[in-house]
Formats: sequence, structure tokens, C-alpha cells
Amino acid sequence: MFDAVRNNKRIVQVFLLLITVPFAMWGLDSYMNGDGGAAQVARVGDAKITLNQFQQAMREQQDRMRSQFPGVDAKLLDSPAIRESVLNGLVDQQLLLQEVNKQRLGVSVAALQEMIANIPAFQEDGKFSQKRYEEALRSQGMSPVGFEAQLRRDMALQALIGAVGESAFVPRTVVDRVVALQVESRQVQESLISAQALKAGVKLEAGELQKFYDENQARFTLPEQVKVEYLVLSQKNLEAKVSDAEVKAWYEEHKAQYALPEERRASHILLSTDSGDKAKIKAEAEALLAQLQKNPGQFAELAKKRSQDPGSAAKGGDLGFFARGMMVKPFEDAAFGLKEGELSGLVETDFGFHIIKVTGVKAAQPKPFAEVKGEIEADLKRQSAARQFAEAAEGFTNMVYEQSDSLKPAAEHYKLSLQQSGWLTRQGGAAAGVLNHPKLMEALFSDEVIKNGRNTAALEVSPGTLVAARLLEHKPSTLRPFDAVKAEIENQLKEAKAMRAAVEQGEGKLAALKSGKQEGVSWGGSQNVSRMAPGKLDSPALAAVFQVDAGKLPGFAGVELPGVGYALYKVNKVEAGQVDPALAQALGQQLSSIAARAQVEAYMASLRQRYKVEINKAALATKE
Amino acid sequence: MAVYDLEEQEQIDNLKAWWQQHGNLITWTVSALAVAVVAWQGWNWYQGQQAAQASALFGALQQAMVKEDTQRVRTIAGELTEKFGSTAYAPMGTLMAAKVSFESGDAKTARAQLAWVAAHGKDELRDVAHLRLAGVMLDEQAYDEALKELAHKPGPALAAAYAELKGDVLVAQGKQDEARAAYKEALEAQEKDSKDGTGEAGRSPVSQLLHQKLDALGGAA
Repeated sequence: MFDAVRNNKRIVQVFLLLITVPFAMWGLDSYMNGDGGAAQVARVGDAKITLNQFQQAMREQQDRMRSQFPGVDAKLLDSPAIRESVLNGLVDQQLLLQEVNKQRLGVSVAALQEMIANIPAFQEDGKFSQKRYEEALRSQGMSPVGFEAQLRRDMALQALIGAVGESAFVPRTVVDRVVALQVESRQVQESLISAQALKAGVKLEAGELQKFYDENQARFTLPEQVKVEYLVLSQKNLEAKVSDAEVKAWYEEHKAQYALPEERRASHILLSTDSGDKAKIKAEAEALLAQLQKNPGQFAELAKKRSQDPGSAAKGGDLGFFARGMMVKPFEDAAFGLKEGELSGLVETDFGFHIIKVTGVKAAQPKPFAEVKGEIEADLKRQSAARQFAEAAEGFTNMVYEQSDSLKPAAEHYKLSLQQSGWLTRQGGAAAGVLNHPKLMEALFSDEVIKNGRNTAALEVSPGTLVAARLLEHKPSTLRPFDAVKAEIENQLKEAKAMRAAVEQGEGKLAALKSGKQEGVSWGGSQNVSRMAPGKLDSPALAAVFQVDAGKLPGFAGVELPGVGYALYKVNKVEAGQVDPALAQALGQQLSSIAARAQVEAYMASLRQRYKVEINKAALATKE
Repeated sequence: MAVYDLEEQEQIDNLKAWWQQHGNLITWTVSALAVAVVAWQGWNWYQGQQAAQASALFGALQQAMVKEDTQRVRTIAGELTEKFGSTAYAPMGTLMAAKVSFESGDAKTARAQLAWVAAHGKDELRDVAHLRLAGVMLDEQAYDEALKELAHKPGPALAAAYAELKGDVLVAQGKQDEARAAYKEALEAQEKDSKDGTGEAGRSPVSQLLHQKLDALGGAA
């Protein structure tokens, strides 16, 4: 049977050796998870980021955004920009992780302990509490080991980033210079060439309007519109009737739920075990108990004398009425196990030894029906409406689908009023009201609805609300006639031409000014501006003014102001400004944080090059 | 002793002969491998040990920084470079300490610390150290030394920052034309790696500053 093996021993040996090598070097893992997990979205050095990891990170990011901006558009949450930024975050983390491992940036146990001890969530009365720590982790579904490993990793990443970012500073020379630039003051005069003033003189050529109209038809096209009728099946509007008998029956069945719980009144004598010998105290308590069993009437007196519970001792041991759950467990069990007037044996709790006497019992009291009727009725109605809705939704969905040439049968069957919309465009918007739902709008403009005259499917536009609609009237997109838009075009073209004329004139004047011919320009009043205090200048004008060479004054600048015209500036004087020390300090800090950010970014970019990052664009675009 | 048949006897003899011939070599190879593995593990253990101690020092340095205890920061940084100079924590901690020295006005110590990182650090940390060292030299008006530091060629991601500081040094020297060229180079590098939008509003703070510095030199537009 094994002849083949025996005769080809050498071959078999070589083969065995060959398959041993990969197991020895990479273990079984690479066979088991080869690509069983998921496609990779990115490869960072030797590691890969799988689709699963990416999707997990996306979900976390989306949850964060949803909690920060409730009502944010779902499409925005899944936009390419967000996908890219989430992936970049993962890649950066992976890069840092690899660098941390390569540089052996471990975190010492002592540092880890100190970090954990200083997290307020794990503290009780300002001190670290092991119990609190474990509870807090458990509530997050984490084990201390997992949490510590993660924290350790994060601390190492932080240390690495911090070493680049937190250590950044900016030379004082540079800070002083930038501050000087911010406060430098320039005395300027403005001369505005207004496009509005030139507009009257603009002449349009014959046929120019028509030509513009022909070339820009998209601008003069009204979008496709529909008017629809629709039905709204809403859980809220479902008339749920609940009979008194049903309410009563529910009440009888769930009486315990609507009852005041049993309460008991008890007195006790406590011998505390906080200090001293437990056995001795127990013996004392037993003697006391024997005494009480002989003379039950002495309870109040002995409580006053001997009980070490300061709250109740003075009242003869009386604790008043209490329900279950208010006392420590052994005490509760004893108190609720006794009959009225009965004396307990010794009951041991964390406080010490108790002797308990039950002095009153208030049995559980059902709440009267009248008191809870309203509550039950509302509950039952809600339940019944949800049930009805679930049933109706299915029938409704089928009916609008099966009888797809009218909504009337569904309206009659479910007693819904057929409503009409105004004119709607594809964008929907607030005017569309309940119909403003991307899937529904898409359906309304589909061929099925517009050409074939069918109902839309019943779509759930919000939880518990189904909408189905059908077309009433349709306006295809239309080109507005030339005559209707002629005046509009004329105005537009004249403005554009006037603007061009203003710019041309301005640029001509600026060139003349620069070559020394100053006549023909009327300057306005002079004003002082600085980068900190730009006065009335907007930012392109300010930039132009500060580009003027301070070495050759007066200097000139010009800038196009969209929609207004062309502004010329004459810079008469350049003065160093007053440096406010507080301002200088604030700017210094700002500069250093700008430098820190830029250097951290450069660091990450450099890591990216060092570890070779490949991004799988196709996998990145995969939707869940 | 069991009795072997002829074929098996022959195989055993073959085996013996083979061992005679190769046994020594195999023993030596296996021993050498074992020694190498043990040495490698030992080295790893030692490195891990060093890193753990250095990390504790680094943690202490971070805390001293928060408490603004300049003296302690300096002492710890000294210990890191002396005893744990081979760990990555040494250049990291020294960079942090240099900032503290610089801000407390101790330019001499800052220079020494940054020079240590420039000489012993690797990759990005070394590049950053040269850059900051040049910054300290600029403040001390040691312009030529600063330019020498900046002549070191950094990774492409830091090229913009290097060129910008070079411009700052040249302005301080009064070499306006050269400074202008340096700022332009910085802007080019900056706008290449960050996808800045056009116009004032779309610019990153770094390129806004660069534009201001460039404008201030006049005749730049």
C-alpha cells in the first residue's frame, strides 16, 4: 500500500521538508486567515488595514458625529471625504504603532499605574479605587488586561507624537518679526472705479442677448416638477380602542405591578464589631438575646442602653417603616421573615450583631383601579396601535403595489385621506413636507411613476410612518422663452461688461501711476491700516496694500473688487506700529502651535514615506 | 537486541557512515545556531530592559515639564543621554528638554541638547533637531552657523520648514534677494504637500505667514 512512498522516499522527504518550512516560519495562522477575514483597504509597511477594521472605525466616527450633530444627513456621514479622513486616521495610527515597535518605545509599569491612578473616573474621594476601576471597565465591556494594553499603546503613541509636537518652539527673532508685520501701519488713500457708474455707458451688440441665451440654456431651464397625491399611514393616527373590560382584565392580571410594596417596621439592638474581639462581642450579644427572650418587654430600654446604632438607640431601637431593598441583605431577610412582635435570633451583618424585633407590618397594597386606569389604558392603546400598524403596514404595502393604478382602494380600506402636494422638484426640500425623503423623491421622478402612472411603493419615511404616492400632474423641465428672460440677460451682460471696463481702466491707471503719472486720479481721504486692524479694506485689498514696496513711496496698488469695480490704493507712509507685549506673547504662542502642528504633519508625512503606505481605492469605496 | 533483516542492517550502516562524515559539521552548526538564538534573545531582553527604564525617566521628564521644573528637566535629560543614549527615549526627551531650556532663556544648554539630538538622533528627530538648532542660532545672531545647520538635507516633508527658516536668517542678515528666493522655495514646497485652496481663505496658517513675510520684502508679487 505504501509502495509509492517507499519507492519515492527522497521525493517524499523533500516534499515534507518543503511544507515544514512555511509552518515553522509563519505558523498556522497564515493558512487559517489568509484572506478569510476581509479585503484589505490599505497596507502600511508590513501590516494591513482590513475592510472590517475600516468599517468599524467608520461606524465609530459616524456615531460620534451623530451624537454631536443630531439630524445630520446620512449621506454626509458616508461621503468620500469622511471615508478618506477615517482611513487616514487609521493609517496614521498604524504608522505610529510600527514606529513605536521599531524604536522599542515601551511604557513602564510604574508610568502605566500612575496614569491609571490619575484618571478621575477610577477615583473615589480623590483616590484611586480598585473596585471603581474594575466596575468602570466592566461597564465598558473591557477587561483590565485589555484596557491596560490599549492604554500602554496609546501612551507610547502619545509620547512619540509629543516629542515632536510639544517640543516645538519658534525663535524669538521670528516672533518679533511676525509681530512687527501684524502691527505695521500704512497710510493709504483709495480711488474707486465703480462698475455701476460705467454700466449706463455700456452698449451691447445686436444679437448678443440671443447668443448668450442660446449658449447658456441650462441657466434658463426650469427643473422638472411633479404634483402628487399621497397617503400617510401613521402609527400615531391609528385609532386604537381599548374597552374598559380589557383594562380591568389587564389590571387584575398584573396587580402586583401596580401595588405599593410590603413595608415593615422594626426595632433593633446593634453590637458593633468595628472594634474589638468578634467572639467576645458575639458572646455579649448572646447573653443580651437570652435576657430579652426572658423579658421581651425590656427591648426598648435595653436598646437605649446597649445599642451601638446611634440613630435608633435613643428611640428604643425603632427604625420606622422600610420596604425590601432598603436594608442590608441579612437584616432584610430576618425582618421580612418574622411575624409581628416576634424577636429574631442573632443576625450578623457587616455592621455587627443585631437583635431584631418586628413591630409593624403593612401588607402590600394594590393601587386602586381608578388610580391606574388611565396609565393602563394609554399603555394598552400604544401596544394595540403598534400591533395594528404592523398588521396594516403589510396589507397597505401589498395593496398599493397590487392595485398600482390608484391609491383610492387603500385610502378607503384604511380610512386615510388622500392628500395633495404642491409642485415639487427633485430636490424635495422643506416644501415637500412628509414626502421629503431621498428614496421617495427618487421614486416620484422615476419612469414607473411618471410614464407608467404607477403608485410608488409604500416607503417608511420615518419609524412608524409609511407613505405611498402617485402622480397627479407632471411638468417636464422647460426652457423659459427668450422674451421672459431678455431683461435679465441684458442686465447681467451689462454688469459683466461694466466690470471688465472698470478693471481695464483701473489697470491702465495703475500702470500710469507706477510710471510716475499721477494726474487724472482723485484720491479719497487717507486712512491708516494694519494687518491687525484693516479698517474698511477687505482681505484682497489689504494684501495688495501690503505688497507695496515700503522702500519706494508713494507706492501704488490696485485690486479687482468683484461686483463693485476696481480699487486703486496709494500708500503714502509706512510706520512701525506699537507692539503690545500681551499681544506679542499671544502671537508667540500661536506661532509655536502653528509650528508644532506643521512639524507633526511633516513627521507623519515622513513616516508615510518610510513605511510605504498603499491604499486600495476600490476597497475604500466598498459600501457596507 | 532485536534482529534486523539485511535491508535494515544496511540502512543502519549507511546512516552510521553518513553521521561519521557529517556529524561534526551538524553538531557545530546546531550549537552555533543555539548560541545565536540565545544571544539574540539576550540582546532583546537587554534592550527591553533599557527601554523600560528609559521610559520611566521619560515619564518623569514629562511631569517635570508640566510642573515647569526647569532644573529637573535638565537633569533627567542628562541622565537619558548618558545612561540610555541608545534608546529612542534619549533624543525624544532631549528635544523636549531643549524647548524648556530655550524658553527659560538658557540658549547655551538648548544648543548643546539640540546638537546632541542632531548627532545621535535618527530620521525625523535628527532633521527636527537641526532645524531647531538653527533657530536658536538665529536668536544668537550666529547667522553663518545657522545656515550651516540648514544646509543639512532633511526628508522632503520638512523641506518647507527648512527653507522658511533659511529665509528668516537671510532677512536678519539683510540679504533680501536671497531671502525672497528662500521664502518662494518654502511656499512651493508647502503648497506642493498640502493641498491648499487658492486665495487667502483657503491657505493654511503656514502659507499665510509665508505670504506675509514675502510681501514684506516688497516687489514680490
